[in-house]
Amino acid sequence: MTALLLAFLLAPPPEFPERVREVITYHARPASLETASYGAIAAKLALKEDPEWCSRRLIEILKAGPSGDMFWMFPVTAVAYLDNGQLTAEARRALRDSWRTYMPFRGDTENHWLLYYTTLYLMTQKYPNEPGEAWFNGKSSAENFRESEEWIKWWVDMTTRRGQGEYDCTHYIGVYLLPMSYLAAWADDPVMRKRATMMLDYLIADYAAEQLDGIYVGSHARTDDRQVVEKWAGVSSDFGWLLFGLGFHTPGYGGYPLYYALASAYEPPEILKRIATRRPDGVLHKETKRTRHRWRFHEEMNGDVYKTTYLRDAYAVGSDQGGLLQPVQQHSWDITWKTPDPRGVHNTLFTLHPYSGLLELQAYFTFPPDSATEVVYRSKKSYDSPDKLLGGSPYEQIFQDRDAVVVLYDIAPGARFPHINGFFSKDLSLIVEDPSGWIFARGGDAWIAYRPLAPYTWKPIEGGGKRLFSPHLKNGAVVQAAAVSEFPALEQFRAAITKLPIEFRLEPTPSVRFRSLRGAEMNVTYGAPRDFSSWKLFDGPFLQAERGSRKLELRHGGLRRVLDFATLTVEESGNRE
Amino acid sequence: MPWILLLLLAFPAAGQPSYSLHTCVVNAKNWVVGAKLAGSGLVRLDPAGEWEQLGFVHPMILAADYDRRDPSVLYLAGGNGLIRATDGGRKWRITTGWDVTELRDVTVDPNTPGAVYFSHTAGIHKSSDGGDTWKPADSGIKEKYCESLQADRARAGRVMAGCVNGIHLTEDGGATWRRTGAEGIQVRRVVQSPHQPNEWLAGTQLAGLLRSTDGGLTWEAAGDVSVERNLYDIAYDPTTPGRIALAGWSIGVMVTEDGGKTWERRGVGLPRWDTWSVAFDPSRPGRLYASVHEEAIYVSPDAGKNWTKAGLDGSFIYRLRFFPEVAR
Repeated sequence: MTALLLAFLLAPPPEFPERVREVITYHARPASLETASYGAIAAKLALKEDPEWCSRRLIEILKAGPSGDMFWMFPVTAVAYLDNGQLTAEARRALRDSWRTYMPFRGDTENHWLLYYTTLYLMTQKYPNEPGEAWFNGKSSAENFRESEEWIKWWVDMTTRRGQGEYDCTHYIGVYLLPMSYLAAWADDPVMRKRATMMLDYLIADYAAEQLDGIYVGSHARTDDRQVVEKWAGVSSDFGWLLFGLGFHTPGYGGYPLYYALASAYEPPEILKRIATRRPDGVLHKETKRTRHRWRFHEEMNGDVYKTTYLRDAYAVGSDQGGLLQPVQQHSWDITWKTPDPRGVHNTLFTLHPYSGLLELQAYFTFPPDSATEVVYRSKKSYDSPDKLLGGSPYEQIFQDRDAVVVLYDIAPGARFPHINGFFSKDLSLIVEDPSGWIFARGGDAWIAYRPLAPYTWKPIEGGGKRLFSPHLKNGAVVQAAAVSEFPALEQFRAAITKLPIEFRLEPTPSVRFRSLRGAEMNVTYGAPRDFSSWKLFDGPFLQAERGSRKLELRHGGLRRVLDFATLTVEESGNRE
Repeated sequence: MPWILLLLLAFPAAGQPSYSLHTCVVNAKNWVVGAKLAGSGLVRLDPAGEWEQLGFVHPMILAADYDRRDPSVLYLAGGNGLIRATDGGRKWRITTGWDVTELRDVTVDPNTPGAVYFSHTAGIHKSSDGGDTWKPADSGIKEKYCESLQADRARAGRVMAGCVNGIHLTEDGGATWRRTGAEGIQVRRVVQSPHQPNEWLAGTQLAGLLRSTDGGLTWEAAGDVSVERNLYDIAYDPTTPGRIALAGWSIGVMVTEDGGKTWERRGVGLPRWDTWSVAFDPSRPGRLYASVHEEAIYVSPDAGKNWTKAGLDGSFIYRLRFFPEVAR
């Protein structure tokens, strides 16, 4: 049995074209044709199977009434572009007419808008020269096409100058890759196709540089209650598998990879494959991202997010600078360790202050004050829970040097939840509370030393593991990770850590002076000015981009690939050896 | 038989001008972006007492106003942009682009033909041609999120804006604005009296009700009504000077009969005390409508003393407005 499992785990993944076909074929064979939806229709059309059923089922679904706004627009657009003469005239007419009779909401996030405008661009391209009466918003094909093109260009420009707004999402990465895949395949305009293909390189590179065996690591603009602890369980893992053969896809391959595969099925170039799969033990990667639009309480609509990610063979450590950078689903820092099969494994450790309040909800949303929390709770069940493990806080500041993190909290009196939570996984193979004040833990082949700065107790977590609960407004932790290959035994790791100089105080302001295992002097104080002026858009051995440049250079060994969005050119150099 | 009462209430007396109630509504409990949506958007109560969906089902229509020259033309503040809705609101066209989103309010200047203003998440726009084209018109407002707009019905080019940081006034058709009150306060609604054009009221987030008696040049607290609550709407009774109603969270419906000297909480028959909007029927003295959070719309024949359910069960109604009836 063990040998079988080992053989399965060590078996080489299928090649990219085979993986693409595997995803499409899976969706083309739904468990029930009676309840199958757009995905099955699109997959069958792509495989040129069963066009009569496709037509019949499409008419049935549309007759029941479209719903889902932009999440309806993208599958229907795929069906329209995969038709290629297979659908009946009636089915085609029903599809076309639905864009006149149903008004999708454009939504309130960047991914909503990208889906909305990409699909509107493609559908008005498909049906040009039609008057306003033919479209749900009363605008002609030409007006819709122009508006969509303008916004897509704006988004590309903004992203390549200042960074993505919904950055590095474990789930929503799919709804950025998908529109670009559509445009790369189906835009008539070769310039738009080129722009979209380059953006695929850009987005995939961003992911490739910050994943551990396909698992998106470090700080995320958005993740969710499950994925924040079971790091594998996201769409990003589906793409890690699809694009690079890394790790494991989720059951059913996820929905988004299907549409990616049905459109361009863009295969990343060799340099991206190498960035994703071949790197030294110890890579420091920094980048700048952008907050979501802040409508209230901020002078700048989009603030900067400064990310640091340090990747080793056995683990990764990543963070942002702390603060409320995104609403509700922000994840600010963690350690993620590698595990042979991450499915069901909580391979991470982190802390947070469970913030819940109008400062966040009214900055990023238009909600009226009294129903804001209730509305958020409908789709984000943990938002107003003191036990939650997800979300940013205005009272959190994070400092990282390679695999050392200092996180400080200065929670305002009167805050809804006056404590911090630390996530200690059920999958840590040991947790030792040492008389020195350090907590030592091991996850996979990573050691973790965690020094709480304020008293704490343990609380159980539903689903396993335990929560470090520290009910003190002035708070924090010092965290150091290392590889088991460096310290084969706990005692060796303990000895190394307890030798490190550490001083801290919590009053009047949390402050830490710590020399890390790597020799870095971390002298940090909550609220002290921080200088991010040298921070680039991307800064690591594999990705380099200056802020505002619209140019990203990919590097790996002797390979170079420069994406210049100002000129929409790609320059390649070097050889594959 | 509440429906008989509703039917009787729906028909104005002979000779009175006819108005119909329009609601900006999301009629789906637990709705989130992308979910299936029941009848929502702009819904009208017709003179026969039937609810009619006008235009598309849509989750975010927050406010509406009508063209004084042609009341069959409505302007809707929508999530996707400004919608010009002709044929009494039935035929929609979005006339804005990607530069604005999630509109908060819309107001027509009754004294300047073609002038329409809307506020959105990042400022105020103005059209001078009835909504064909739009330009930013918020110079002077530093923090640009404005939840409420109201054009002065007495003087052309004057518009009051209730913003995230105070009340702002333009007297030159949106070219320039200045803050005239409520500094540091989030303002949720500004409303002009139909009886005294210099009298304005503003409802706020946690700062109670503010009043101006000089056309919005200066503002002061209007007593201590609901100062620890959020006020979402204000309605003057156009038929009865001195009678005003307030909607807000945890207050039910507050009503004054003496121009704001004293207030009474009126909620007999309301299922909860959380209300979003109130509107007096211009053609039926004392008839008051209120939208109760995700319960229904309620109607009172006696200015809020007694309430009965009037429909739109489960709805979240952002705004109630009466517009003139238009012959089709």
